[in-house]
Amino acid sequence: MTASATEVMEAPGPTLEAERWSPSAGGWTARLLVLAAIFGGVIWVTAIVPNYWADRISLAAIFAIIGLSLNIVLGYVGQVSLGHHGFVGIAAFVAAYYATEKAGCSLDACSFGTFMTATVVAALSGAVVAMLLGLIALRIKGLYLALITLAYGFVAERSIFEIPFLTRGGAGMPATRPDGWGTDREFAFLCFFFLAAVIFVDWRLLRSKVGRAILAIKHSESVASTYGVNVTSYKVLAFILSGIFAGIAGSLLAFRAETVVSNDFNFAIALLWVLMVVVGGLGNRVGVIIGSAFFALFPFLIVLIGPLDHFIRDTLGREPDYFTIVIGSALAILTIIQYPGGIGEQVSPITRWLGGKRFSLHAEGHGGHKPKEAKAAKPATGGLLAKVGLHNEDGTERSDEALAALGRAVERPASHDPGPPPDVWGALVGGKKKGDER
Amino acid sequence: MSSVLNIKDTGIRFGGLVALKDVNIQVPEWEIVGLIGPNGAGKTTLFNCIMGAYQANTGSIEYRDRDISLLPTHRRVALGIGRTFQNIGLVRGLTVLENCLVAQHPRIGYGAIGALVGAPRSFSEERRLKRYAMEVLDFLGLTHLAHSQLDGLPYGTLKLIEIGTVLATDPDLLLLDEPSSGMGPDEAHALGERLLKLRKTLNLTVLMIEHHVPLVVGVCDYVYVLNFGQIMTSGRPQEVQRHPEVIAAYLGGEAEGTSEEEASDVPA
Amino acid sequence: MRTGIVIGATVALLALVLILGAGDDGGPNAYVVIGIATGAIYGLVALGLVLVYKGSRVFNFAQGEFGTVAAFTVFVLMEQVRSVDIPYWAALPAGLLVAVALGLAMERVVVRPLMNSPRITLLVATIAFALLTVGVEIVLFLPEAKVLEPLIAATDASGNPNGVEIFNYILEPQNIIIVGVLALLAVVLGYFFSKTDLGLAVLATSQDSFATRVVGIGVERTSRFIWGTAAFLGGLAGILYVPISGSLTPGAMTSGILIPAFTAAVLGGMTSLPGAFLGGIVIGCVQSLANWAGNTYTLTIDDVVKPLQSIIPGLPDVAIIIVLLLVLLIRPQGLLGSEA
Repeated sequence: MTASATEVMEAPGPTLEAERWSPSAGGWTARLLVLAAIFGGVIWVTAIVPNYWADRISLAAIFAIIGLSLNIVLGYVGQVSLGHHGFVGIAAFVAAYYATEKAGCSLDACSFGTFMTATVVAALSGAVVAMLLGLIALRIKGLYLALITLAYGFVAERSIFEIPFLTRGGAGMPATRPDGWGTDREFAFLCFFFLAAVIFVDWRLLRSKVGRAILAIKHSESVASTYGVNVTSYKVLAFILSGIFAGIAGSLLAFRAETVVSNDFNFAIALLWVLMVVVGGLGNRVGVIIGSAFFALFPFLIVLIGPLDHFIRDTLGREPDYFTIVIGSALAILTIIQYPGGIGEQVSPITRWLGGKRFSLHAEGHGGHKPKEAKAAKPATGGLLAKVGLHNEDGTERSDEALAALGRAVERPASHDPGPPPDVWGALVGGKKKGDER
Repeated sequence: MSSVLNIKDTGIRFGGLVALKDVNIQVPEWEIVGLIGPNGAGKTTLFNCIMGAYQANTGSIEYRDRDISLLPTHRRVALGIGRTFQNIGLVRGLTVLENCLVAQHPRIGYGAIGALVGAPRSFSEERRLKRYAMEVLDFLGLTHLAHSQLDGLPYGTLKLIEIGTVLATDPDLLLLDEPSSGMGPDEAHALGERLLKLRKTLNLTVLMIEHHVPLVVGVCDYVYVLNFGQIMTSGRPQEVQRHPEVIAAYLGGEAEGTSEEEASDVPA
Repeated sequence: MRTGIVIGATVALLALVLILGAGDDGGPNAYVVIGIATGAIYGLVALGLVLVYKGSRVFNFAQGEFGTVAAFTVFVLMEQVRSVDIPYWAALPAGLLVAVALGLAMERVVVRPLMNSPRITLLVATIAFALLTVGVEIVLFLPEAKVLEPLIAATDASGNPNGVEIFNYILEPQNIIIVGVLALLAVVLGYFFSKTDLGLAVLATSQDSFATRVVGIGVERTSRFIWGTAAFLGGLAGILYVPISGSLTPGAMTSGILIPAFTAAVLGGMTSLPGAFLGGIVIGCVQSLANWAGNTYTLTIDDVVKPLQSIIPGLPDVAIIIVLLLVLLIRPQGLLGSEA
């Protein structure tokens, strides 16, 4: 398995298009029922569990938003952001500052309108802070950019979070929950609403030129620009979008906790967020949501298992919360080494089925579909290869695959070959119907 | 006939290495112009300058009488210049269909913001884009590969897909970098026929880097010879083919390059 | 040659600062001394970072945790083992041993399987490993602060300070030890990598693992050696630093030291071992001088005189990120490095 294991960052990306086979009416009904069951189940659980559970569920929703924000940078752009606690934390303080200092929320009351405005302001602040990082990312990539993001978050922690008027020092900046959405349960549903909005935008992102452009840039900037993509703009746009999502999450965190304290946003949580996206599966929306929710709910899941909870608390004398980091990072290592597609890949048969494809364990174009390799024939003329040579025009070396491809492709004419791919040249020679009619 | 592409006194150097010097090339409308020369002559470097991947140090590049020397690559593409790569210019992580969709990027009728918030226009445009992409794939006989990843597909198929994507950008000027590389004589012949047909049906102008001499002789209206970064000579293909310096530049030439029989194979 | 010039220039610059500030009570001299002392720790950690980078072309995010783990081991052996009284000179090697074991474990579990993966993948894996270590520390030791005693106590039995006084600042014995250890390592490692066969083999492997495999140098063995040595250096840094940092907490070395150490490594050049030393000292001084500037310089706003540091909180750390950005934007290969 190790052979396929390595490419976490290169894991099969999101698939953009639906296909020709369509499920029957019954098939669609079955899918809709399952979807309804899933969403209904989540809503029903949120409605009936005790309040402190609902509070944790809202954290799960917020983590999912953060996961989707990180996923844009990690999965779509392909860079590592180790300072996301900076974006989220700054946005949280901004939201709280706006609500309490500027819009006059008191410790008892805060209007819904103020909350929404605060969230918008927080989203904007996230966008601005992320945009700065995006501009840096135009010049610096890879490991060194990761280092810069780490330092970015470090500065947020040590400097910005210490600014007195913004953060009120150790006491923290208050952010009272909006009227009508004050209980834990109501707030959880509020978070669901924002999560749904974020999912919608992420969905439209991938289904439109924006997402395609960003993915094309990730794989090959030079080809992307030859396709007409403005590489600079779309790279920065990706960071801005990530910042907007992070800003929304920050605001929600602020109003959830009702007091924003800088301790809540440290580098350990930033690293944990990166790991949760890795475990979820880079670039895989569903996986990231599930992974993020899992990380948020983990201690509570332990609580569910009575004997285990008892063992941890009483025999070991530890809080279940402590184990989140251990289990989370162990899962991340496992994912990177063994299952690079993460949770997303594991549940992909289900998500593909729900999306309207036939149920199968493999994606189209991978696994099942095996294009026939052209037979490696001896080179047609030594002259052709010699003329082509081993070097490109600029003196750079031809890659190994290009050389191998040359060896494969230099073959006898179509008439000698039984396999389909060489016959596409037959299409050229014979001419397809449409083209000839023009 | 006016020039679609006018390269004036263009030169570029990398550190101490002069890759191109005093290059002057005119590509008139609807002509297929060939660019030949030994390896290392600077042909792909010139393409990179035309496309904006490299910034020429001297001279200017004009497209339809408009100086594009300072425009970024994506703007030049939007003006109508399409380009293929020697090593296959496709995005490897995306499927065939996705590549054809991205290729239409300059022609998309909705804005980024509209797309993100789900404007109705983005939905209808997407349907149109997909239809057009499928048409191009159908034209090339590749619909069965629409959702395939590019890895594992044979070199010849990838070349074909690349032609599809470059056509999807709806270009007026096509820069082809060794389109026949990896092909035997019959396929190259077929490619030549295809190019002539496309030129007629799509009103294309073509500048083509090529090594395959029969293809050059049969298809090109005019040929420039580049050697050590400078234009050595230019003229109609038959003349250039017999030019003694050209033959010498190719180091004695191969049977493929100078055979009389192969030259007669080729359509007029 | 160039190494000599750069080092010479830096020393001259520091000497200049010291001379200019001599006799000035509010001057930066004490801060420079502090800077060199903390810089030595940054240099020690940076050494490990550069070593790993030379060997595996990746940033090792767990470098700090090698130190925290070593410090915890010493703590456990000295403070928590009641049945036998374990002296420092026995606990210290034990701590280093545990650190090296952790490094080798990391090499086996994470580095080896990902040897041919993209470097970013390995980076994330080191992050996961670092966090795993921190998590285990939290589970074992709880998220509290403990105290680890230094090698030589800072004050003697009657409360008098034990250290050396320079420029009105008392340099604790531990600090002197740290600087001494760094200097010693500078000589040892410099000799090792330029004169011994094993050292040269390690350098060769880092340049081109395929070629060295062909020549017959064991790639796996050098990988183990590099990670083991890096863990040793990291462990040493932890044992030396934690006593003077004030508290031993899970993730202690990572939260406080790792980022300045990375900046030091980048500044010196990620491929240069002497660069790591130099970078450490420079970053230590930058941080310390920024602290001095924050205390000394003031701005008058609305008739209120405020020190700089109340306007820009965390000025020392802001200074570090500015250095990092400047280096990466202007001269990515650092002062003594050889590649971008």
